[in-house]
Amino acid sequence: MKRETRHERSSANAIGRRTFIKTGAAAAGAAAMPDVALAEEPRSAIVVVHGTDIAKMVEAGMARMGGWDKFFKPGTKVALKPNIAWNSTPEQGGNTHPDIIRAFVLAAEARKVKQVAIPENTCHPEKKTFVTSGVRDALKGTGAKLYRPKPADYRPVAVPKGRICKEAKVAGDLLDADCLVNMPVAKHHGGATLSLSMKNWMGAIDNSSRRSWHRNGLHQCIADFSTFLKPTLVVIDATRIMLDNGPQGPGRLAHPHEIIFATDPVAADTYAASLFKKTPKDVPHIGLAAELGVGCADIAKIKVERIEA
Amino acid sequence: MKWLRRNALRLLIAAGAALLALGYVPEACTCASSLLPRLSPILSILGALAARAWLGWLMLLAVPLLVLAFFKGRFFCWHLCPMGFLSETAGRLNPRGKGLVRRVPPFNKAIALVVAVSAACGYPLFIWLDPLCMFNGFFAAWREPFTWAAATTGIGFVAVITLSVLVPDIWCHRLCPLGGLQESVSLLARRFRAPTDAPPVQSSLTAASATRRTVLAAIPAAAASIAIRRALGANGRNAIRPPGADLERINALCARCGNCMKACPYGLIQPDLGETGIDGLFTPVLRLRSRNLEQEQYCFQDCVACTEVCPTGALRPITVDEKHSTPIGLAVIDRRKCIAWEKKEYCAVCDEYCPYKAIKLTEHGGVNCPTVDADKCRGCGACESNCPADPIAIVVKPC
Repeated sequence: MKRETRHERSSANAIGRRTFIKTGAAAAGAAAMPDVALAEEPRSAIVVVHGTDIAKMVEAGMARMGGWDKFFKPGTKVALKPNIAWNSTPEQGGNTHPDIIRAFVLAAEARKVKQVAIPENTCHPEKKTFVTSGVRDALKGTGAKLYRPKPADYRPVAVPKGRICKEAKVAGDLLDADCLVNMPVAKHHGGATLSLSMKNWMGAIDNSSRRSWHRNGLHQCIADFSTFLKPTLVVIDATRIMLDNGPQGPGRLAHPHEIIFATDPVAADTYAASLFKKTPKDVPHIGLAAELGVGCADIAKIKVERIEA
Repeated sequence: MKWLRRNALRLLIAAGAALLALGYVPEACTCASSLLPRLSPILSILGALAARAWLGWLMLLAVPLLVLAFFKGRFFCWHLCPMGFLSETAGRLNPRGKGLVRRVPPFNKAIALVVAVSAACGYPLFIWLDPLCMFNGFFAAWREPFTWAAATTGIGFVAVITLSVLVPDIWCHRLCPLGGLQESVSLLARRFRAPTDAPPVQSSLTAASATRRTVLAAIPAAAASIAIRRALGANGRNAIRPPGADLERINALCARCGNCMKACPYGLIQPDLGETGIDGLFTPVLRLRSRNLEQEQYCFQDCVACTEVCPTGALRPITVDEKHSTPIGLAVIDRRKCIAWEKKEYCAVCDEYCPYKAIKLTEHGGVNCPTVDADKCRGCGACESNCPADPIAIVVKPC
């Protein structure tokens, strides 16, 4: 029989991990579900690592998040969702930095996970983006499965809490993952104002879903979908951020030299937006996601822990 | 068995040429799969003459055939040509048709002359009758992605084989312009050697009459070339063409070999099925809307694959920088269909995908609304193929 997946499980019970935590059953949740180690963390706490050596920054951030072993358990399935959508070099900031992706893949493989899948529905042809982004090179010598999903790799899912977006087709490997890491790059976006972690799920869905989001209210659909697909961990690459001409670039760059670690995607996006001097008011999907109970969009209530690496 | 023994080498060469056109080549030299048509001087050399352009060193692949014709007459036809072998073999299927060919006058040298003269005038006629091009077009059609529309490049081959069954040998002996060209070259060669081995009086007489006939045929060919160019030359602009296209002459220069259609990594280049005019039949047009929804593609800014495989200069070899500065079309927005303009929703997908930064976003009613900067737009179709509006709000028009 097919193994019941995390998301089938959560939608069957009509109760997501986060709702579960929210109801105050955090301790019980940690015992009952395999991947809720983060329940001990306060919901609106994020870790911001400042530095120049990406491998060191990732190590420092993950140590503060509870250590690699909490996320990558032997024999489990790991899925990473970086942004590798554009034919853009690491310096141009259009894609997640390859060194961050490599650090996660190496750590996962060192802990003997069953597989590391990296599905990405690219915008430019994947033959170009995977190479230009430096990710293909960064993954050399590892067993990570980097690919652009084919139509058969997507599975239709229901988004019960969505206001507009009621269903979507999502890359199966993301649904099946025991540990799902959303690792976007923070950048300007002509349509969504900013492209952060929740916007990054647009690379997890198929093109017909993408089109329907654009047609029917982009910001609401992004928020809707974030009630369904919940990352175990959010890692936002803000080592360099694109200030205009996004999402494709090239645009003007700023260099905050930061990587943001969080379990609350809304809190992570709210903090990342502040790097662009924007608030959830300027980026409607952040506020809409908070309204739907996905996370905390009040910068005053987010505990930011800063680490130097 | 006797036939097989006598024809083993020709069979082998034809099979090799077919495999080449089918794309069964080692990974390291995939470019070889488009080389077959370049061996023909009609395509490479007359094409370059008509296009008034140097088509790269690969066009010199046609020189050996000319040299061979100069010294050995139609050696290529009888021993090497894959199309010749197949049409001759097809003729054997109809033993009763033997001898029919004698009732047909030879057109081959005349056709070759028309192609050469019209090419010299800059607007070649009948360039698509080249046998290597037809052979290549037929076998290349089976390469992935196979579509029935793209398979139209195989029509010439099928016609020649059918004709060869009905009237054996008619193609090689009466019609083939490549054969005619080689025959003319070898006649010319013989005249060079004439002083040593031919009676002088007779030779000068035939030479004079041959010259007269040639001139008589060349004048109407040149006139036709110029007249057809005047009448139909503008048809080339009626559709979006692949990058590097010679818009004024594409319908005449294109040999319909199918190379560009198979070179396009995104399957965007498809044959014109009559929309640019009768002379444009089966020439390449760029169809942005032929996309499959799961794989939106457009004429990618860093790709010049189609221009590298054209044997005739219908598509000139261009660099990526040249591509960035040459428009193939112009995007036009219909505001009544646009999600941002009409529905006041956040969208800007056209701006997101535009590789040339040709979409200007201005705020109207709190939402970024797009307009096209005609100076920057190159008509690649990134916007069109990704526009989520239904019906599509931004469409590339021919320029």
